[in-house]
Amino acid sequence: MTRALVADDEEAPREQLLAALRSAWPSLQVVASAANGVDAWDAFLEHEPEVCFLDIRMPGLSGIDVARRIGAQAQIVFATAYGDHALAAFDTGAVDYLLKPVDPARLLQTVHRLQARQASPSSPPATDLQGLLKQLLQQAQHPPPLAVVQASVGREVRLIRSEEVIYFESDARYTRVVHTGAGGDGQALIRTPLKELLAQLDEQLFWQVHRSVIVNHRHIAAAVRVDEGQMHLTLRGRPETLPVSRHFQALFKGQ
Amino acid sequence: MPAQPIDWCQLWYPGPKRAFTADEMARAGSDAPSPTMLVMAIINFATVAFVALQLAPAGQTARTAAALGALAVLAATAARWLWWRPWRRPLMQMQLGVTAAMVLLALGIRWRLPEREDRFAVGLTLAVGCAVIVVLMWFLVLWRAQQIEARLREQAERERAIEMARRLAAAQLEPHFLFNTLASVQHWVQCKDDRAAPLLAALTGYLRATLPMFNRPLLAVGDELQAIERYLQVMQARMGARLAWRIDVDAALHTLQLPPGVLLTLTENAVVHGLEPQLGGGELLLRGRLQGDAAHFEVIDNGPGPAPGMQEGVGLSNIRQRLLLACGAAAQLRLGAAPGGGFKAELSMTTSAAHSPPPP
Repeated sequence: MTRALVADDEEAPREQLLAALRSAWPSLQVVASAANGVDAWDAFLEHEPEVCFLDIRMPGLSGIDVARRIGAQAQIVFATAYGDHALAAFDTGAVDYLLKPVDPARLLQTVHRLQARQASPSSPPATDLQGLLKQLLQQAQHPPPLAVVQASVGREVRLIRSEEVIYFESDARYTRVVHTGAGGDGQALIRTPLKELLAQLDEQLFWQVHRSVIVNHRHIAAAVRVDEGQMHLTLRGRPETLPVSRHFQALFKGQ
Repeated sequence: MPAQPIDWCQLWYPGPKRAFTADEMARAGSDAPSPTMLVMAIINFATVAFVALQLAPAGQTARTAAALGALAVLAATAARWLWWRPWRRPLMQMQLGVTAAMVLLALGIRWRLPEREDRFAVGLTLAVGCAVIVVLMWFLVLWRAQQIEARLREQAERERAIEMARRLAAAQLEPHFLFNTLASVQHWVQCKDDRAAPLLAALTGYLRATLPMFNRPLLAVGDELQAIERYLQVMQARMGARLAWRIDVDAALHTLQLPPGVLLTLTENAVVHGLEPQLGGGELLLRGRLQGDAAHFEVIDNGPGPAPGMQEGVGLSNIRQRLLLACGAAAQLRLGAAPGGGFKAELSMTTSAAHSPPPP
């Protein structure tokens, strides 16, 4: 059975797409519906669905950001209220796009396309998807990456420069910050959930390696493959190891 | 003022330098000479011919008339040719051509005249005629070139105005806004949700207020606030709990006349760039205060605030231009960070600078 993720920041268009999908593709199982890009990415990591319907304009991470992170791991259909020029490129069939409000006949076409591609998954994508996404991304505005993490420790607020961070780890309702800075034996807790933090960090410096771990790649010593499906990271000058989930193992493939 | 250099070239090679392209001639110079001009030229020539015939020596009337006829044909041909090429090079060519033709004509006639006095009289007439034609051609070309240039300038200005209006309309009716709203309306209508009717009403109100908005030069703040309220109601329906807003404008400011769309654009910017990209949404405050003669508006959101290196888009540069046109330098628009984080747009002016309606 095919599983899907639907993400749109507005309730009504999201519900409309869900309803339209129910009649166009009754056997599709929608495993998650997200109201922003951050939740969408998190839900993808949790469920790893085969098909993702992503609104382009979403808070946190845009649909394009999410699609770029997903890469070739799932089939992506963009939804947008207005046809941007670059979207026409998707007509080539690498990915698809829908205009909102979603037209049932057009959605049916998309569904057939997705089903056909699932039947023969080995067919290569028709266009350079990553290049296309990069191009789209350049059109979107991006705030500058977070420079300082503010952590409350007792009665003081400690400022941790982002270069000093070794890794972030989800810890129940908090995010644990392990850093090289002085004080607090190099650890602090912040309230910002890891998935929200991800959207604010410098992508060049911080790599997400697990749904609950983001690591500063300068502190990675080695990636160790334990067996077929498992991998972990060792860090420079630290004893602990960090897990690498299946989706991110492609980051460490050797040269 | 820097001294303008003397263009010595114009002394020996006079005339307008700009050669119009075929496209420019088609747009601004496709008209034939008007009948009025033709009648004026004929009357002038008839007067000159009459005087010349009176002054011509007796017995040479026929030859003088023939020479005048030849002159007329030559001048008319040259003028018609230059009409479609009003610039320096054709002018020079034509002037040299006419002079050469006149010299040949003079030599031809000279042979047939036995009397020295007659030869002198005909020669002088032709020389003066030649000079007059050359000068007239120069005037014609100057006048025609200026006419075409003025038309081209006018066309360019009109196009700019149309482009400005088009961009304004486009900036106002954002397709994303419209289609996203329609998507919500459609879904709620389909599933018979009670939210459909109020959303549709707010959208209708917004469109009714904004579509004719830019046709007028000025709009009362009260009317603009109604449009803003409709806009915020639409966004409220779509964003739900993620959007909170408050409008707090002194009633005394409602009659103030401003260029339409200024406050609306600032509000839309705050929602689209400040609040919508926030995971948790945020709050918008539109405040207007009148203190004595000074009107002061603020649009504040609690979003991420101004990004470093932020560039003003089409909407904002439109606002600045229209404020400058309507209120002069007395109206000021300042953009920056709000005290508690977020973005603040401030608009201030004196009520005398803004166009207040005359008291009834």
